[in-house]
Amino acid sequence: MLSEIVIIVVRGIAIGSIFAMIAMSFNIVHGATGILNFAQGSMLVLGGFAAFFLANGVGLGWWLAMLVVSGLLVAALLAFQGWITLLPLRSSVEQDSWIISTVAVSVIVGAVLLITQGPFAYTVQGMAPPFRILGVRTPGAYALAIGCMLFWFVALRFFLRKTFIGLAISALSQDFDAARAAGLPVRRLQLIAFAISGLMVGTAGFLVAPVISVSSDAGLRYVLNGFVAAVVGGIGSNLGTLIGGPLVGVVTMLTAYRVGGAYQDLASLLVLVAILMLRPQGLFGRVSARRV
Amino acid sequence: MAVAQAARGGQAQAAHGGQAQAANGAAARKRPRFSSDLPQVWIGIALIAITGFVPSLVGNAYWVHTFQLVNIYIAAAIFQNFLFVDAGQKSFGQGVLLGLGAYVTAIFFGLHGYPFAVAALVGLVAAFLGGLLFALPALRVQYFHLGFVTLSAAIVFPQLLMSLDRWTNGINGIPVSMPSMHKEIALGLSPLTILVALFPMAALVVHYMIRRSTLGRRMRVAAVSPEAARTLGIRPGVMRFIAFIIAAIGTGICGILYLPAVSFVSPQGFNVELSFVFFFAVVVGGRGQMLGPIVGIWVVFILPNIVLAQLVEYRLLIYGLLTLATVMAFPDGIVGTIERWRVRRAVTGRGEEAFRVDAFLDGLRGEREAAPGSDIAVEVRGGTKKFGAVVAVDEVDLKVRRGEVHGLIGANGSGKTSLLNVLSGLSRLDAGSFLINGRDATRLAADRIARMNLGRTFQTPRIFPQFSLWENLKVGIDARAGTASPDMARLAAQLEAEFAEDSAELLSHGQRRLVEVMRAMLKEATIVLFDEPAAGLSQSERANFARLVRFLSRRMGKTVILVEHDLDLVWDVADTITVMEQGRIVASGDPASVARDPAVQHMFVGGRLA
Repeated sequence: MLSEIVIIVVRGIAIGSIFAMIAMSFNIVHGATGILNFAQGSMLVLGGFAAFFLANGVGLGWWLAMLVVSGLLVAALLAFQGWITLLPLRSSVEQDSWIISTVAVSVIVGAVLLITQGPFAYTVQGMAPPFRILGVRTPGAYALAIGCMLFWFVALRFFLRKTFIGLAISALSQDFDAARAAGLPVRRLQLIAFAISGLMVGTAGFLVAPVISVSSDAGLRYVLNGFVAAVVGGIGSNLGTLIGGPLVGVVTMLTAYRVGGAYQDLASLLVLVAILMLRPQGLFGRVSARRV
Repeated sequence: MAVAQAARGGQAQAAHGGQAQAANGAAARKRPRFSSDLPQVWIGIALIAITGFVPSLVGNAYWVHTFQLVNIYIAAAIFQNFLFVDAGQKSFGQGVLLGLGAYVTAIFFGLHGYPFAVAALVGLVAAFLGGLLFALPALRVQYFHLGFVTLSAAIVFPQLLMSLDRWTNGINGIPVSMPSMHKEIALGLSPLTILVALFPMAALVVHYMIRRSTLGRRMRVAAVSPEAARTLGIRPGVMRFIAFIIAAIGTGICGILYLPAVSFVSPQGFNVELSFVFFFAVVVGGRGQMLGPIVGIWVVFILPNIVLAQLVEYRLLIYGLLTLATVMAFPDGIVGTIERWRVRRAVTGRGEEAFRVDAFLDGLRGEREAAPGSDIAVEVRGGTKKFGAVVAVDEVDLKVRRGEVHGLIGANGSGKTSLLNVLSGLSRLDAGSFLINGRDATRLAADRIARMNLGRTFQTPRIFPQFSLWENLKVGIDARAGTASPDMARLAAQLEAEFAEDSAELLSHGQRRLVEVMRAMLKEATIVLFDEPAAGLSQSERANFARLVRFLSRRMGKTVILVEHDLDLVWDVADTITVMEQGRIVASGDPASVARDPAVQHMFVGGRLA
């Protein structure tokens, strides 16, 4: 009984950390561009594939190098995706073509993985050794997930508050027109935000590869859970994702143990509908002043 | 009905009366039609008829079967198109609704042996309930949230079909046999062939009729500009809700037809890919175009599944690439791009002539000169509005007499627009109260206030480019609280005759402003709020606008509240002027006394009164 609670809580928080990282990567892009990237889950899975192909069963030094490589590769891919996503927005009157293009990219990444890698889930060996919590053996990747979430939270906070580029991106999220009028290179900052979101999910996917499903169709599930985490925390609030992610993780883990693994996604959907009905601004979100 | 008669009567009068030249001018200038919706509906019906019936007539069983499924998918895509463009909702879960209709019907008919009609009804109810799941969050939130809700539903649905195998037969699916539906009744046509061809035609007609109706216009206004919609008495959440329900029922019927057409349901048939097919078909075919879903399904579904059948594992990639290419290269889609060529060739701007209304206005109550009354139309008592720590409106007391032009001036950030937003119900007072026509309106939502005969304009005029110029005005009539006055019905008929086939997209800023003013007039608002109307107007447009405000007040007896930075304009037209500073009222009275008030002297440095 106790061991079950430990498993649900520890693994729930760890899986939730992955959702939280996707949510944070949503936030930085959303702040800078107003876009929520539906392909973010596929990009996380790409990080997992990077771990499988570049760093399965290698030494620590190589593994660390490949971690960086994975982050940079996904960051470059996301910067490219950001570039093509933002292109039509420059001229078009309609400003929500991004919903279509990011979903299309998500489908394309999934389809390419399906064609080249098949419909299988890949197993990746963990680098971190397993550990025991209250007597329950836990794969090391779970600890890495939580550590990675905390690292990115602190790193983002430092970046957005202390560096010039970070402050400029924060300015974009507060008043886009004023930031443009002040002469900030808006498009370049937006692409940097995309790249940072890629760096986050690229490294996160790499680190947690041993405990996630590294398969062509997993991306959509991760992006949805990441979105639920972002909504629970309040979109735009990184602090909120630290609560929202683990909360969603524990709920899905509890569902998996108590109801059945097939109902995990249903549980997140119900959490999403409930929060949208009861508190659409999320736990930490603010109701913004209306602009007319 | 009475309105329509009045309008027709008005038209007849106009033809005989002094405004004859405007109406005749419209008749003389044969203009190309603004919207090609109706011809597209006819072409669409013809295309569905050809693909639906010809294979049966020539006896090609393969194409009969293929186009049965294609036409069902076309119907589902038509409802997606309606939801996507007319209601502005991006749903990635339409496949779920189709699946609910099909699966629940199959369970009751195929597994439990209920009569098909009963099973189909239960299936339809299931699709309706599924639509509720999408529609309930739509009451509260919009935009990308619903995209994620619907996408999650599309992912969860096949999982549930698998795991609830006690009811659904799980991975084995449910076979269904309906020989009577496939039996030939005449000319090689079976009942099923006829039904699956007629239904998408009906869907097309339903979409067209909704779009032409008041409900359809309200939906589109709410989709494009929720604030403007609320000030026109529309509740955007309710519009989204209704749209989801309509689409759910239509798509549920598609699901019921799917059953005899495919004779088998299984979880794999209703995975997220199906929802993507409908969504991507609308994008590739042309968002909002009546023919878009037809062309879209042909390209997105037929191309990879039938023409390139040997590459079937590439179909997801093909969907994705086609869609991405569409968004990047021709965002209007296939039909939309063709339509754009037509419009560009046919429709030309009419420059300054594009929207003039002076001739029409002369006929309105020309004889009478009203004066501001003594009773109070709008009253604010101790109104306070805060945004966080910022007090935008600070214990304001304000009285606006009926029929007067009340100028509200002050520096940027002094709280004028905040006050205007409170009065129109777009934001709520934190303390204090306000009354409209003596009735407390403090806690009323914007749509309720709009129905108390209050109208407003926005700093950026809200023009809906997908509407003709006349339809842009007509949304004002849609928002009218009571029945039309004879004058207004006559005016409406004249405007319709003149502007029904004009585009609103090429209008200048000043003309757009005028459209909003006319919209409020056609709404028969008795209280009109103007938010910085003169900004961006030329000198002559300002003079015209001043005349129009005087006309609204003196000839039509309307109460006007005018937030404006152009002090010359305000002093020119206002009966009373109120000066705001940092959320407070610092002076109020007739123009002459306000100009002398020492508290406001500093505002005029460099201005006319310095």
